[in-house]
Amino acid sequence: MISTTPVPAQWPDRYGDELYRFALSRVSDADAAEELVQDTFLSALSGLATFRAEASERTWLFVILRRKIIDYYRRQARTNHVSLDELGEAGPTEADFFNPENGHWNAQQAPVSWLNADAALEQQELHDILQRCQQRLPTQQHAVFTLRFVEELSAEEICQELGLSSANYWVIVHRAKLQLRRCLEKHGLGKN
Amino acid sequence: MLLDQQADQPVPKEARTSLWLHLRYCPYCNRYAKQTVKIAEWAKAAAAARASAGPALPEAAKERMRERLAAAG
Repeated sequence: MISTTPVPAQWPDRYGDELYRFALSRVSDADAAEELVQDTFLSALSGLATFRAEASERTWLFVILRRKIIDYYRRQARTNHVSLDELGEAGPTEADFFNPENGHWNAQQAPVSWLNADAALEQQELHDILQRCQQRLPTQQHAVFTLRFVEELSAEEICQELGLSSANYWVIVHRAKLQLRRCLEKHGLGKN
Repeated sequence: MLLDQQADQPVPKEARTSLWLHLRYCPYCNRYAKQTVKIAEWAKAAAAARASAGPALPEAAKERMRERLAAAG
């Protein structure tokens, strides 16, 4: 029978690799990922009393790590917090994509067809390009995009975590998508 | 922006109808709508792929963590 009592001394060897890969898949920075794993172990150690045997040790550690990742993005976004008025200074705005007079797409920014886009690029290549494009987003947009579409937090939860108004949140999501789409096209999507 | 909201949460019927009509007559917007859904799917899949095939935690980091855990415990 598998022991359900956590053994902190064995955590780095038992779960270190898996937790680190997960953290690295979210933050894309090796030092930050190591720190997240270490913080996870230390938090788990100080909260050993809260561990319930019905959940596995592994699941429990992942829950703590996930919380740490959200905290990481909150710190990132708040360190680089910009108001709605200042959002234009944190990367391209709608004016870069749409004609302000009629709201139509600017000819150079209009989406080209991505027919068979995922077949045109190797999956690994597509993932690498997308990761690079995500890293180029302004900090707040990167945080919002990752929390919403990778961590799958709700809009309400993200506003609460990052201290954003609903209006601000939607502007950030919209701009993040516009920029990611443009970045992906610049790197080969839609040119097949 | 309404397009992004609709992908994320229910929007009022009137706004939904207006968006539907807009997408019907704006091929670029229609394309954008589909592409942004794809981007979200790819971002999730890319993170999952990295989480299952990324590098291992360096041994030096493991050693440092073992020491920190021993000191804290």
